[in-house]
Amino acid sequence: MALSPNDVDVRAQRRSARYQEYRLMLGAFRRDILALISLVIILAFVIGAIFAPWLTPYPDQGRGEPNILEKFQPPSWKHPLGTDYLGRDVLARILFGGRSSLSIGFLVVFLAGLIGIPLGAIAGFYGGWIDEVLMRITDVFLSFPPLLLAVAIAAALGPSFVNTMIAIAVTWWPWYARLVRAQTLSLREQYFIQAAHSIGVGDLTIILRHILPNVLGPVLVQGTMDIGSAILTGAAISFIGLGVQPPTADWGKMISTGRIYFIERPWFAGSAGAAIFLVALAFNLLGDAVRDVTDPRTRRGA
Amino acid sequence: MKKKWLWSLIVGLLLVTMLVQCGSPAQPTATPAPPTQEPSAKPTTPPTQPPASTQAPEPTAAARANVFVYAHPTTFPDLDPAKSYSNDSAVLSNCYETLTFYNPPGSKELLKPVLATSWESNADATEWTFHLRKGVKFQDGEPFNAAAVKYSIEKTKEIGVGAAYIWDPVEDIEVVDDYTVKFHLSYPAPLDLIASSGYAAWIYSPKAYEEHGSDWFNEGHCVGTGPYTIESYDRGSRLVMTRFDDYWGGWKEGQFDKVVFEISEDPVVLQQMIESGTADFTYSLPPDNLDALDAREDIVVYRNPSFQNLLGLLNTQKPPLDNKLVRQALSYSFPYKQFIDVVMKGRAVQSHGPVPAGMWGHSDELFQYYYDLDKAKQLLAEAGYPNGGFDLLYTYATGDMDEQQLGEVWKAELAKLGINLKVQGMSWEAQWELAKSGPEKAQDIFVMYWWPDYISPYSFLYSMFHSEDEILFNLAYYRNPKYDELIDKANELSGSDRKKAEELFIEAQKILIDDAVALFFYDVQNIHVARADIKGYVDNPAYPHVVFAYQLTRAR
Repeated sequence: MALSPNDVDVRAQRRSARYQEYRLMLGAFRRDILALISLVIILAFVIGAIFAPWLTPYPDQGRGEPNILEKFQPPSWKHPLGTDYLGRDVLARILFGGRSSLSIGFLVVFLAGLIGIPLGAIAGFYGGWIDEVLMRITDVFLSFPPLLLAVAIAAALGPSFVNTMIAIAVTWWPWYARLVRAQTLSLREQYFIQAAHSIGVGDLTIILRHILPNVLGPVLVQGTMDIGSAILTGAAISFIGLGVQPPTADWGKMISTGRIYFIERPWFAGSAGAAIFLVALAFNLLGDAVRDVTDPRTRRGA
Repeated sequence: MKKKWLWSLIVGLLLVTMLVQCGSPAQPTATPAPPTQEPSAKPTTPPTQPPASTQAPEPTAAARANVFVYAHPTTFPDLDPAKSYSNDSAVLSNCYETLTFYNPPGSKELLKPVLATSWESNADATEWTFHLRKGVKFQDGEPFNAAAVKYSIEKTKEIGVGAAYIWDPVEDIEVVDDYTVKFHLSYPAPLDLIASSGYAAWIYSPKAYEEHGSDWFNEGHCVGTGPYTIESYDRGSRLVMTRFDDYWGGWKEGQFDKVVFEISEDPVVLQQMIESGTADFTYSLPPDNLDALDAREDIVVYRNPSFQNLLGLLNTQKPPLDNKLVRQALSYSFPYKQFIDVVMKGRAVQSHGPVPAGMWGHSDELFQYYYDLDKAKQLLAEAGYPNGGFDLLYTYATGDMDEQQLGEVWKAELAKLGINLKVQGMSWEAQWELAKSGPEKAQDIFVMYWWPDYISPYSFLYSMFHSEDEILFNLAYYRNPKYDELIDKANELSGSDRKKAEELFIEAQKILIDDAVALFFYDVQNIHVARADIKGYVDNPAYPHVVFAYQLTRAR
């Protein structure tokens, strides 16, 4: 179908309206100091994790090479955060540990969204028995305490990085399914969807073109906040020995092994704890900001 | 929005402190507080468990002086005296007694009489006569006599689990009279040593055992001839023993009325308890924290040689470790000296073969592998792996920092040989199950501590390396008929000709070392931490981590 000049016009208008919207969002975001600080913290950790081998003089120690002659050194210029029980630079371990902790955070949310969003959209869009079946399945998952379920799955699959991720994602997706379903239910009754139906647009197209873009806002908010929680859960699983295995660095693992030395040598577990704390907090604040920014009411009020 | 922000801050902080400080100080400073009203740190008690009705009242400050508190790092898996083969001996050794007792190293005599006052054997050590102590009573009032000895040992044998195999040579037990018992053996064996074993050699009341059976004992009961009996037991959390007034040894002023085991698997909690004075004795503290304890005047750190060693059993039936040259290469790849000196700060000595130093059957002449990567490389090349190129799975018990560090250090060394060591922490039971699951499925390297049941090299050489059809502890899957024959012969001789037996045991160890069946990492030092006012403690490596509370007093 060829585009009529009129069509182009409509699209351009729509586009410029959208730009307007984005600019407003960005403006609101820039006024939110906490959100900016959070973003800086997160970027710092992400960059630190990605470029860890170039940012520390001790990349081998970050990867796990022991350096036993310098065991348990307190913080100094040479080792700003001290060294651990095998003499490895704690800062290097934190940077490298970010690789597993942060990727658990991002990937878990990504995987959970990948499963949860389509299921939620289908359930909400079609309703009826499909909805019933899918929602009862999510109920089953939600009725387990999330950490317990993740631990059980991780234990069953065996300790490793990938399994930890799968285990957490499995406990996480129902939240997205529910969120998306609720949004879809209300969208489905709105005029623009009804209109699409009436001119014979296919179901798939309606879901992809009209429903998903409209549910992404809340999902984005939820996802941002969840990254922090997923990192914490990953740390908890590592903490009990089921996650990442030594000598790979991981914040949760660092806390669990450093904990017994905490009284006399707090820098080791303390640094890892601070890293988790900062990142989790930053993602939470960022999630708040994203919510405020994407919601026109709070944005303009801010 | 502001509220939400505050909330996440609080939750974040809480989570971090929770993770970091799991079971950390309730009393923040280290001032030696005299016994406080309540044991403060008990976070290991599962909060879901309803308090058992049998739970002992908290010892009050006044009564605390007569109570000995042992902060114990493990649970008690089996309190049945016929079956127990684990850490339960800390409890059971205070309740039950054996015919003979293995004296701590440095004593004039090897053995001390306990329930037997004297014993003798015929020339070839196939007939042993024990004369029993008179006037001894079990804690249920039953008399101790030859029939009780016969019953206990036969019952333990019949049930046949744990260390019951130590009685294998016994064919028949004859009650000569009330206080004389005669053992007829099917082959020569050192029955005087066997009778001193820290497991499976306890004499218990036949009446109680017949009436109640195993489960009753595990509910927290014991009926022995010893100085203390179990008063209450809150499984996994606390066990209280109280003194048996009719103990044959009698009671003197100053001995403890009660012995309390506070169970916590968390070393941080154990350290807190000993530092605050809520506990009098403990072990298994993080070794790197010991220096600080050494400096304190109210705490004594006991360091003694033990009969315990750490081995890395190599799966000898799974390629590439089925090749002797590869196993030898591995044996040359570990930096023994550096690890012991620097990481362990001298808490161990490198082993000479599987039998620990200080025990008979040990020889300093035996070959020790040393750290030599060139040699390892050369051996690997001979075996057809000039650049390594294979993976090995190493499992360790989660929470054992020594085993974990060993894995991490070794991984770095093996990487230089092109071998990828996968280091994986598992619960002890899980890794044992995996190790027993058959040579193809089992891990390549299984690190394990071993200590003897009765003091004979046979305990080490048989349990871990003798051919087994159903694998129990031969987790190297080692099979060597010549070796089996040597140690079986040596064992038979160890009752009559201990010198000849020793020679054969040493001969057998040479085979193991040459075959590089395992890495013999180190003999462990026993480290126990006690309050300075506890007097009379002597470590006895034959009964690891057992405190004979009867011998202790509290200085005032």
